[in-house]
Amino acid sequence: MREGDVLIGALLEDACLTLDELSRACAVPPDWVVEHVREGLLPVPGESPAAWRFSSRDLARARQMLRFERDFDAVPELAALVADLLAELDEMRTQLRRAGFE
Amino acid sequence: MHFKDYYQTLGVARDATADDIKKAFRKLARKHHPDLSKEAGAEARMKEVNEAYAVLSDPEKRAAYDALGRGYQPGQDFRPPPDWDANFEFSGPGYGAEAADFSDFFAELFGRMGGRPREGGFGRRETRFEARGEDHHAKIVLDIEDAWRGATRQISLRVPRTDASGRVVLDTRTLDVRIPQGVREGQLIRLAGQGAPGPGGGAPGDLLLEVHFRPHPRYQANGRDLLVDLPVAPWEAALGSVIPVQLPDGSRLKVRIPAGAQSGRQLVVRGKGIPGNPPGDLELTVRVVLPPADTARAKELYETMARDLKFDPRAASGG
Repeated sequence: MREGDVLIGALLEDACLTLDELSRACAVPPDWVVEHVREGLLPVPGESPAAWRFSSRDLARARQMLRFERDFDAVPELAALVADLLAELDEMRTQLRRAGFE
Repeated sequence: MHFKDYYQTLGVARDATADDIKKAFRKLARKHHPDLSKEAGAEARMKEVNEAYAVLSDPEKRAAYDALGRGYQPGQDFRPPPDWDANFEFSGPGYGAEAADFSDFFAELFGRMGGRPREGGFGRRETRFEARGEDHHAKIVLDIEDAWRGATRQISLRVPRTDASGRVVLDTRTLDVRIPQGVREGQLIRLAGQGAPGPGGGAPGDLLLEVHFRPHPRYQANGRDLLVDLPVAPWEAALGSVIPVQLPDGSRLKVRIPAGAQSGRQLVVRGKGIPGNPPGDLELTVRVVLPPADTARAKELYETMARDLKFDPRAASGG
């Protein structure tokens, strides 16, 4: 890991986090993740929970939903709806920037 | 250390009910939530609000804070007496990774008594994760050039540590991190073992760095694809030409513009985007720039074109 005093980071590629890793990164029990996947609030990342692999983007979304659920006592569906809208907003802002409007 | 008035942070009276506190918190969360607010400093403000709510929403911590803070003014120099918390019983599960976001004042007061921030109703009082330290999260802002070449960046983190007397203090930790070439916006960099220490000698958690790119005047990135605006003269676009495009490492790539390229036309050069495995593409957007008609000669040239070309740019749209 170390090269002198410089830490070498590992790049997490798409579809690389297991259910346990995602849960741990969110500091939630795996059941929270399983429930949100089964309810369609997080993308379905594969056949069965043992084979699930999540991306960096999925982790960001899961943490964002957690914050909405925690800070506003939002029901999971509402937290997912807000996360969807923010993702769309981000996408539109990116397109505006590319088109030179921002 | 300065005294923090959590009631003032939330804008509630000292005798506010639990319901008033919750309402005030939600109102401020709506205003400063980092996912919603684009205000500068929203994240820092939200941390203060979270910290105040972590204390005032917990009856045990609120009672202890009230007893200790009586007579103090915000910003006043403050030092809690030794063992001031001896008469309070705290049922929280310990000190959580999120508390790294909280102030020294919070750490001093609640560091050794279950001063964990709000559990949020996700079963966080469970003990199943106790064997391994929690993962920490941080954002790292890079330039597109860093993704192109790879880079070393220094980051500072606040990390809770238990001192010899069992009290939790917040240390500032500085890390030099090598950013691998080909990193993408939103991608995570995992630094294994650099998260919270594991309770009871368990393995430490990881530090997960989320990559963000600083806006660049010339380049934008979409994954590993590099998006570049390509200004061209009208004759370069009309007649076709070979134009050098400067890449983020300072090198130049010659790109052929096909004859008749209109403004907005996209040209893709496969594999010439941000290096990686696989590398991204270079996506060029042609932008035709008119030379100004600010000299007699320039005006004459435009007038010649107007006379000789019989060109109507609105013909296709019927306008």
